Amino acid sequence: MATYKLYYFNARGRAEVLRLLFAAAGQRFEDSRFEQNTWPSFKSQMPLSQVPVLEVNGTTLVQSQTIARFLARQFLLGGRDGFELAKVEAVVDTINDFVSILSPIRREQDEKKKKEQLQKFLNDDLPKHLQNLEILARLYGNGGQYFIGNNLTLADLTFYDAGETLLQLDPNCLNNHPWLKQNRLLVASQPRIAEYLRNRPKTAF
Amino acid sequence: MPSYKLYYFNGRGRAEVARLIFAAAGEKYEDVRYERDQWPAHKAEMPLGQMPVLEVDGVKLPQSLSIARFLAKQFHLAGKDNFEQAQVDAVVDTIYDCLTKYVPIRFETDEAKKEELTKKFLAEELPKHLQNFETLGKLYGKGGHFFVGKQLTWADLLFFDVGAIILQVDSNAFNNHAWLKQNRAEVEKQPKIAEYLKNRPQTQF
Repeated sequence: MATYKLYYFNARGRAEVLRLLFAAAGQRFEDSRFEQNTWPSFKSQMPLSQVPVLEVNGTTLVQSQTIARFLARQFLLGGRDGFELAKVEAVVDTINDFVSILSPIRREQDEKKKKEQLQKFLNDDLPKHLQNLEILARLYGNGGQYFIGNNLTLADLTFYDAGETLLQLDPNCLNNHPWLKQNRLLVASQPRIAEYLRNRPKTAF
Repeated sequence: MPSYKLYYFNGRGRAEVARLIFAAAGEKYEDVRYERDQWPAHKAEMPLGQMPVLEVDGVKLPQSLSIARFLAKQFHLAGKDNFEQAQVDAVVDTIYDCLTKYVPIRFETDEAKKEELTKKFLAEELPKHLQNFETLGKLYGKGGHFFVGKQLTWADLLFFDVGAIILQVDSNAFNNHAWLKQNRAEVEKQPKIAEYLKNRPQTQF
């Protein structure tokens, strides 16, 4: 029995997909959350001075995407074989392609500039990324509601999480994407995930 | 025996790590390279209109890192078990963080701005990334020359490839990083890799 300790801020951010993995698998873990004012004293203990960090049986693993992939494999949420895993990862990478465009915009301090960049993202960038995800779902999803092979995988959990952020910014952004909407509903209705979503801390981001 | 076909431009770019993995493993594949003027005719054949793409027994996989990770696992260059694979992935993600900061600078068209940004990158960004690589090498490398577990993995191959890009920008970049220098030297002298490096097409990027 492995022991897992997750370190992150008291927020969803880059750790939420990891918490969703633990929830989907029904796996216990220590969910260690810093407030902004206690972070400086923990920062030097993290190998790359960043979080999230996952401690597995005492060894520290860094990098949110790596941790996600590792847990997905541990919990059999990574597809049924090596090639399915690669498809899961291709979908995750494609989601992260637009998340990484969005991150600096969300951090923009100048409110006017931020609003402009956000509009541009929603109008010019996001539609083609959502289209790409639908292409991959058609290519890999065997005609079902999950991204890969008719089973819940990390790809669906990653899109659920990223989708939450998108819908916060524009509640209508998935209106022309029924498959993506349905996929998120399916994830949210999995019993363990529904339970987790009901009980998790409510945070600003 | 699956059949592999790799599609990319006639350059190293985002495909070279996959080519290095094939080379290190001594595995055959069709190395399809499109010149710039040929690409528009083939763009619609790729799932996301981008390359590299790996075709495995006729099924197309996009996303350079997912492709590399899949091949590395197929050819046992990804780490001995799930946790070692995660350590390898953590190194890869950390190398990629550095590359992500550099890529927009590389493609900056204004020459004066590019020079300024490059100077800033070398002075302010690169040092901490190199420090991070060494931190992980010490954390996961078990005292050896390779990033993880005393064996060649694709983390070493990726660092070899990205290291070449860094050295093109500043040939002295690794002068204060003996371990990183030694790591690249170890990769370079692997017989199959030495042979590949001798014979590969010499390209601009």
